[in-house]
Amino acid sequence: MHLTGVPLTTLIQLGALAGAVVVVFYILKLRRRPVAVPYSKIWARILKDKEATSLFSQLKRLLSLLLQLALLALLLLALGDPRSAASLVEGRNVVVLIDASASMQAVDVAPSRLDAAKAEVKTIVRGLSGSDRMLVAQMDAAVTPLSTLTGEPSDLEAAIAAIRPADAGADFARALRFATDTLRGLPSPEIIVVSDGALGDPADAAGPVHLGDVKLTWVKVGVRARNAAITSFSVRRYPLDKARYEVMLEVQNTSEEAMDVELSLLGDGQLTDLTRLRLGPHEKLPRFYPNLSGASKTLEARLALADGTRDDLPADDHAYALLPERRRARVQVVSAGNMFLEAALLLDEFLDVTTVAPAGYPGKGAFDVTVFDGVAPPVVPGTGHTLYLNPPPGKDAPFEVGKLVEDDDASYKLGFDELDAKHPILRWTSLSDVNVARAHVLKGQKEDKVVGKSQKGPLLIAGRRAAGKFVALGFDVRESDFALRIAWPLFLLNTINDFVEEDTGYISSFRTGTVWQIPASSAAETATLELPDGSKRVVPVKEGRAVFLGQIAGFYKLTTGTNGSAETSLFAANLSDPAESTIAPSEKLEVDGRAAGAVAGFTLGVRRELWVYLLVAVLVLTAIEWLTYHRRVTV
Amino acid sequence: MGLLDVFKRATAPLSRRMGRTEASEELFDDEFQRKLDYLAMVSRRVFSGAMRAERRTKKTGSGVEFADHRDYVPGDDFRYLDWSAYQRFGRLLIRLYEEEEDLSIYFILDSSASMGFGGGQKLRQAKRLCAALAYVGLANLDRIAIVTANDEISGRMQATRGKARIFRVFRFLTAVKAEGATDLGDAMKTFVAQHKRRGLAVVLSDLYDPAGFERGLNVLRYNRFEPFVLHLVDSADARPDLRGDVRVYDCETGDEREVTVTAKVLERYAAAYEEYLEEVKRFCVGKQVSYFRADVGVPFDELILRVFRRGGFLR
Repeated sequence: MHLTGVPLTTLIQLGALAGAVVVVFYILKLRRRPVAVPYSKIWARILKDKEATSLFSQLKRLLSLLLQLALLALLLLALGDPRSAASLVEGRNVVVLIDASASMQAVDVAPSRLDAAKAEVKTIVRGLSGSDRMLVAQMDAAVTPLSTLTGEPSDLEAAIAAIRPADAGADFARALRFATDTLRGLPSPEIIVVSDGALGDPADAAGPVHLGDVKLTWVKVGVRARNAAITSFSVRRYPLDKARYEVMLEVQNTSEEAMDVELSLLGDGQLTDLTRLRLGPHEKLPRFYPNLSGASKTLEARLALADGTRDDLPADDHAYALLPERRRARVQVVSAGNMFLEAALLLDEFLDVTTVAPAGYPGKGAFDVTVFDGVAPPVVPGTGHTLYLNPPPGKDAPFEVGKLVEDDDASYKLGFDELDAKHPILRWTSLSDVNVARAHVLKGQKEDKVVGKSQKGPLLIAGRRAAGKFVALGFDVRESDFALRIAWPLFLLNTINDFVEEDTGYISSFRTGTVWQIPASSAAETATLELPDGSKRVVPVKEGRAVFLGQIAGFYKLTTGTNGSAETSLFAANLSDPAESTIAPSEKLEVDGRAAGAVAGFTLGVRRELWVYLLVAVLVLTAIEWLTYHRRVTV
Repeated sequence: MGLLDVFKRATAPLSRRMGRTEASEELFDDEFQRKLDYLAMVSRRVFSGAMRAERRTKKTGSGVEFADHRDYVPGDDFRYLDWSAYQRFGRLLIRLYEEEEDLSIYFILDSSASMGFGGGQKLRQAKRLCAALAYVGLANLDRIAIVTANDEISGRMQATRGKARIFRVFRFLTAVKAEGATDLGDAMKTFVAQHKRRGLAVVLSDLYDPAGFERGLNVLRYNRFEPFVLHLVDSADARPDLRGDVRVYDCETGDEREVTVTAKVLERYAAAYEEYLEEVKRFCVGKQVSYFRADVGVPFDELILRVFRRGGFLR
């Protein structure tokens, strides 16, 4: 037996002092209240019997003193916090990894797998022995420790209560690495995984996780797997007809039985399409909805069982997407007349085109984009971003127009020999076989980007000046076959979209459980992200993109800048993870070649801290003393 | 129970000790005197009826019933010479008649401190009973004497007769205070020594005698007095308002005892008290001493009627 609380010498001093006080109080008797009686002889008669038992009375008083001293001894011993030698060495260090991934939201066990897991962990916490230490961590796309390594049940229960489900998969390898790092060097290490077991292979870029001497146990949660899910959901506008869009989604039956499901597509909250499908066991069914129109902002897909019941995992039965916002761009065309240019601009109904003669520049009003066709006048405010087509040599252009090159070499056909195919203005285009009769070589500044280049020099460059972005094409499209290709209007509209930052390649939704790079238009260092549940987070912005590990499906709102110049953008996030939608509980959990065993040694209610029992003994003795005093047994 | 009640209970014994003074002015008011007149009318001379036969003297007197003869000696009254006997026997004989004596009634009032305990109800009731019985006696032309006794004869009212002397009785009784210890044995010895004329001795007492109540009554019996015990009892004495650890002391002797009063102890006390009362009664009945237990809780009118009925005083 060892004292882990107040040292023995201090206890002896305290005991001597308190014991002396108790004995003095015992010796000092309270003066009794004097009361007159008319005839004491009658009292003498009844007291005669009591006097016969005076020895017993004295014994009772002595018993009372002994009882008080016993209470004192028990309290002092409790202060000492005695532990058995066996208890001191048996202390375990336990990390509990509670799976909070999307599959744990399954309701095959009431109220949900996650709640059942919490209940299991609470039972384990109550069974902790006095010298055990435990850490509770939430395991989802990240691993979040919710408590310190402690033996305090209240702290651990608070940590368990703080666990929230995530619409993301679990990064089991990361969680195991965290647990093994935490337990390194500690005696009797143990990892308890509380999960449905659908955790995947415990390996990451650094290879498989090695447990070493850490004991791995597993509390299995979940009983069945009846689930259908939307595993993909994507939407985009047509580049040449932005009023229309197309949707691609994929539904999957992850269970062993066939299902009849109803798939609903809602645009701005209104039902756009309703389809009844039959999904065989483990069947994946892609669906494509072309030429949709009507919705201007939000799209949502919902999946429901045709018989009106719900499957075991509602979290993957809906998916969200946001359509890129449309706004009318004001375009000024400074041209002496170019049919190909004017025709291409007619393709986009969201363009507000104003054509002016070169002498009439600048036109009235402010513009988002100005196209200089064959001219390069000095740029005045209100011009906006600029597209130069076949700029003449001069000093007013923001770049240098070089020598004229012509297609006069029989061994070389003038055109684009090198193209930056990933540049936004070249999206969906193919310019490598464009033939050019003559062109001016363009020379931008150092930071400008050469998008298309011939052997004779750059023909297509892009850059940014104080007035805004610019793109320059070094030849007249009428002196090439570029104008006859579908690539021409695409190039033109891509450029305008790039100028007005309207991205036709917009990512309609993010996938939960991954780190999102959300475009943030301002140069702010932080942005405020409003989550689907209404809570707000401040997230860092790096290189024009807000970085956030999203784990909840739904619509998000990102705000950058302050109140006066705040810019807000919306985006959606979806689970879209077939692995998480496959909610069948595993039969076994294997890590590092070892199968996880069952949890043992956490028997409910058996605490090895003796001071608890000592205090209970004090309470019992006090209760007995109280009872006997009021029954006049010990007085 | 409120805090005030607790305080009242805690201080109750003290207030009782403080409240021994009697309202003597109201003791014998007009109403009381009217009651006495009524009692005198309805009562009969029980004392004389009961006593006269036993109190006939052998000496000549004013009686009419012949008792005996004795020889004439010079100096005897010639009127009592029996001339018929002289003619028959030739001797001068004097006729002896029984003398009719008036009855002597002694009221022995216990004036010890215990009689004043608990507000003095016992002494007050004893005084009123004494006055009522004395009035009846005076109305019947008996000789009435009153003594107060504790451990001695502490007060004495000379024997008197006639209804008009009732006010003297009142004055005497009003002046009586409860004080001193009880020792009826010694007090009665003094009493019998001072009163040669035997008669009825009405003892009004709570009989809280540390030396034993029997001694005093036996002294009266052995000296041919006729004891009549009016035992004053207060039901509050049987159920003392005590609880917890207390030090009880005798209000007369100061004898102290420590006791922890519980409900069980109170039960045992009540049983012991009842046993003491029964002991007194048993003694009186066994010794053919007239005994009546007068509970002070009973209203005086009812109590005096009970006394009269019990003693056969009512017609």
